[in-house]
Amino acid sequence: MMLLSLLANPVVRPECHHPSLKPLLSTRARRNMIRCAEGISLWLAMVLMLFVHPLYAEARAMESEQPGQLYLVDRKSAWQEPALVLDSRFDVQVTGLLAQTHLTRTFRNTSDVWQEGLFVFPLPEQASVYGLTMTVGERRIVGQLQPRAQARQNYEKAKQAGQKAATVEQNRPNLFTSRIANIAPGEEVTVEVQYQQPVNYRHGEFELRLPTTLTPRYMPGAPVSTPASAWQSGWSLPTTQVADADEISPFTVLPDDVNAGSHRATIALEIEAGLPVDEVTSPSHPLQVELEGSRAKVAPEHGPILMDRDVIVRWRPAGSQAPTAALFHQQWRGEDFLMAMVMPPAITGQVLRRELLFVIDTSGSMAGESIRQARSALLRGLDTLRPGDRFNVIQFNSQAHALYPQPVPANGHYLARARDYVQDLDADGGTEMAGALSLAMGMESSESAGHVQQMVFMTDGAVGNESALFDQIRTGLGNRRLFTVAIGSAPNMHFLREAARWGRGQYTAVHSAAEVDKALGKLFAAMEAPVMTDVEVQWPGTVAQPVPAKPGDLFHGQPLVQVVRGAPAEGELTVSGRLPGGRSWRTSLDLARAAPGKGLDRQWARGRIDAVMDSARLAGTEPDEAAIVELSLSHGVMSPFTSFVAIEERVSRPEGESLNQEAVPTLLPVGSQPGMLRYPQTATFGPLLTALGLVGLMFSLAIVMLSRRQTL
Amino acid sequence: MNRALLLLVGCSATLLVFGLWIPFKALVAQEMLELAWAESQARQSEARPWPWADTWPVAKLDIPAQGVSMIVLEGVHGESLAFGPGRVPGSEGPGAPVVLAGHRDTHFRHLQHLEPGDAVRLQGMDRQWRRYQVTATRVVDSSRESLDTRSLAQGTLVMITCYPFDSLDASGPLRFVVEAKPAYGMEQIDTVAAL
Repeated sequence: MMLLSLLANPVVRPECHHPSLKPLLSTRARRNMIRCAEGISLWLAMVLMLFVHPLYAEARAMESEQPGQLYLVDRKSAWQEPALVLDSRFDVQVTGLLAQTHLTRTFRNTSDVWQEGLFVFPLPEQASVYGLTMTVGERRIVGQLQPRAQARQNYEKAKQAGQKAATVEQNRPNLFTSRIANIAPGEEVTVEVQYQQPVNYRHGEFELRLPTTLTPRYMPGAPVSTPASAWQSGWSLPTTQVADADEISPFTVLPDDVNAGSHRATIALEIEAGLPVDEVTSPSHPLQVELEGSRAKVAPEHGPILMDRDVIVRWRPAGSQAPTAALFHQQWRGEDFLMAMVMPPAITGQVLRRELLFVIDTSGSMAGESIRQARSALLRGLDTLRPGDRFNVIQFNSQAHALYPQPVPANGHYLARARDYVQDLDADGGTEMAGALSLAMGMESSESAGHVQQMVFMTDGAVGNESALFDQIRTGLGNRRLFTVAIGSAPNMHFLREAARWGRGQYTAVHSAAEVDKALGKLFAAMEAPVMTDVEVQWPGTVAQPVPAKPGDLFHGQPLVQVVRGAPAEGELTVSGRLPGGRSWRTSLDLARAAPGKGLDRQWARGRIDAVMDSARLAGTEPDEAAIVELSLSHGVMSPFTSFVAIEERVSRPEGESLNQEAVPTLLPVGSQPGMLRYPQTATFGPLLTALGLVGLMFSLAIVMLSRRQTL
Repeated sequence: MNRALLLLVGCSATLLVFGLWIPFKALVAQEMLELAWAESQARQSEARPWPWADTWPVAKLDIPAQGVSMIVLEGVHGESLAFGPGRVPGSEGPGAPVVLAGHRDTHFRHLQHLEPGDAVRLQGMDRQWRRYQVTATRVVDSSRESLDTRSLAQGTLVMITCYPFDSLDASGPLRFVVEAKPAYGMEQIDTVAAL
C-alpha cells in the first residue's frame, strides 16, 4: 500500500492542467505531453496495482503461516486451526522376560480454540494395558477401567460438560485409540499409558519391539455408507468385511506434513536381564548403550526419533550362558503366580522332504523397500530347497496368481523360472488375502510322497479383516503348517503372530534388507528341523487354568513359556515332549529357585482373556463378554470389552466456548510408498512470477518518473 | 542509481517473461499435441509430440460448457503438466477410475466454473467419446488426505487442480477435486464387464 500512495501522490496534482508558463511553446507542449503521459502511465500502474494487490495480499497472508503445519478444511473450504502437536516418550523397564512400559504422550494445542484430540496408535501385539494417567499442569488424574460402553458414555458426558477427560480403547490387540477432550488453547495435556509385554526369546537372543506407527491397512469388502458420524476419524469407510474400518484407518502423512517438532519419540530402556549381557543391538536405530553386568541402559543415539518405524532392541547373554530355563514367582493379592520358560534341546533328526508353498504379498502397501525385502526373502527361501523337495510360488494383490498350477519338483528348470518370476514381482493393488489363502490351501498336495507340507507367507499384514483370515487359516489349512515372515518397517505383528499360531507354525520379522539372510536363516532352519510334539507341563499339585492351557508344538530354538495361578513356589515342575521317531524328552525344574517377578498376574489375566477369545473362535460363537469383562476388571488389564477412562472433577471449558475435534495423523512407515495417491502438485509459479515482474517494473517506472520530474 | 534501476528493470522483466512463458508454453504445446494426438489415433500407438518428450497424449478432454478442449498427457509429473493435464498412471485398465490433474493457472483454470450436472467428455485412443456428468466438486487438504482410488465407483472421472484458483502460492496444500460419473453408467459398466 505504501507503494500505492507513493504512486498516487504525484497523480493527484496532474501538472498538465497548470496554467501555461513563460517558456517556449514547443518546449512547454513537449513538457506537458511528457507530464500527461506520466500521469496516464501512473494511473495505469495504479489500476494494475489494484488488480494485483489482492493476490499480493493473499500471498502475504499465506507466508505468515508457519510451514508444515496441518490444516483442516471444513465444508466451506476455509482455513482451520493447526493440528495438535504430539510428543511421545517410552520408558521401558525390562525385568527377565517381561517389559513394563510407561508410554507418555503429550498433546499441545497450538490453536486458539478448545480441542479434542483423537489418536489411533499401535502397541506391541501382546501388550497388556494396565493403566492410564492424565496430567494437566500439576494435576494428575488416574484412569479407571470400565466396560467399554460405559467408559465411552462417561467420557462423552465429561466432554460435553467441559471437563478434561482421556480414554483409551482397544480396536485390535495391537491397535488402540485414545481421545483427549477439552484441551485449552495453548495448553498441554499429558496422557500416560502403562502396558507390559513379554520379551521375545529365540535362538539365544532376546528381542523387544516397540511399534510407533502403522502401515495403512487394506479394507476388503464394499464400502458401507453410514449416517455421517460426528467426525470422521479415518480415511476409510466401514466396509462389509471390516465394520470398524473408519476407526482403524488414521490418516497417514509424510514427516514433512507435520509440525517440525511433532511425532518424535524419546526412548529410554532399562534392561535387567537377570544374567550377564554381552551386547545390545538394534537393526532399526543406532543405540547408545551403558552396559553393566546384567543391567543395560539403552537409548537411541541421536535423541528423539521420528515415529516412522518400529523400534527393535535385541540383547544377547554373554558367552555360552544362553538360558535353557527360567522361573519367576510373584504374589499378588495373596495368590501365587509362576512363570516358567523352558528351552527344548536342539533337536536333530533326519532331514525332512518338504512341499513348500511360498505366498508373497504384492499389494500396494508393500511398494517401496518392502517388496524388495520380500523378493530377496523369497529368493533366499528358494535357495533352501533341496532335490526331492517340491514347491510353488503364489503372489497376491487384488487377485492371487500361482506360478505353477500345482507344486513342482525343486529342480533347476523350475527353480530358474521361479527366480525370474520373483525378480519381476511388483507391488500394486489391494490386499485380498482370503483369495490367496484359498488358492494356496486348495492346491493339490502330494502328501502321498511323504512330504511335509509347509506354507511360507510373506506380508506386512496390512489388512483390516484379521479375524476372518484366522478363521480361514484354522479351518482350511489341513495338514499344512503356516510360517509367516513380517516385512517392512511397521508390519502388523498381531496378524503375523496369530496367523502363525493358528497355522501351527512360526513367525519371523525382516526389518531391513541387511538382515533378510539372518532372520530367514533361522526360520528356515526351524522349518527344516523336526518338531517336538505332545508337549506336556506338569505343575506340582493342582493349578487352575495355566496359560497357554495347551502348549503348541515346539520348533527349534523356540522356548515354552507358561504362566500359572495358584501354584506356590515349591516342588518340581516337569516338562516333557515327544520327538520324531518315538523318542521322548523330559526335564524338571526346582520351583523353589524361582526369581521374583513382576506383572505375572497381568500376564496370566491377558492369557486367560486370549483363551476365552480363542475358545469362542474354535466354537464359532461370540466371545463370552461377561467373563472377559470380569477377568479384565478384577486384574486391571484392558480387554476388547473394557476401556480406561480418566475424568477430571472440575470443569475447565467455559460454557460459551466451542470444542473442535482433530484426529492426529500417524507417519507413513519409512521405506514404504504412500499406498494411496498423493495429490499431485498442480500449480505453477507463473502467476507469482508475473506479479513479481509487474510489480518490479512498476516500481522502476515510478522511480524513473520521479527522477525525471526532479530533473525537469 | 541508474545501474541499480537497470538491474531492477532487468530482473523484473526476466521474472515477467518467465511468468508469461508458462501460460504461453501451455498454449503452444497444446497445438503441437493436437498433431501428436491425431497421429497416435491414426497409428493406434503412443506418439511422442517431440522426440525428447517423456510423455505422450493419451486422451482428449472436452468441457462443452466452457467451450474448451485439451489433450491429456501421460503422467502427472511437472514435465507433462507444463504442456497439458496429465493422467495418473494406473488408471488405464477397463473400468478403472480415470484421474486427471492439471495446473490451476493454465489448462485446469476452467474447472472452477464446473458445477454438478455439467457435462464432460473424454476421448480415448479408440476415438470413442465417453460422456461424463459432474457429480460433485470439493476442496481437499492434500497434506491430510490421500486419494483412495479404490473407494471410487467404477468408471469415475476425477479431475484435480490446485486451490484457491487466484492464489499466488504454488505449493499450497489445498486441491480442488471434480468428480464425474459416466453419463450412461449402467451401459458402460456392462460393456466393461463383458470385456
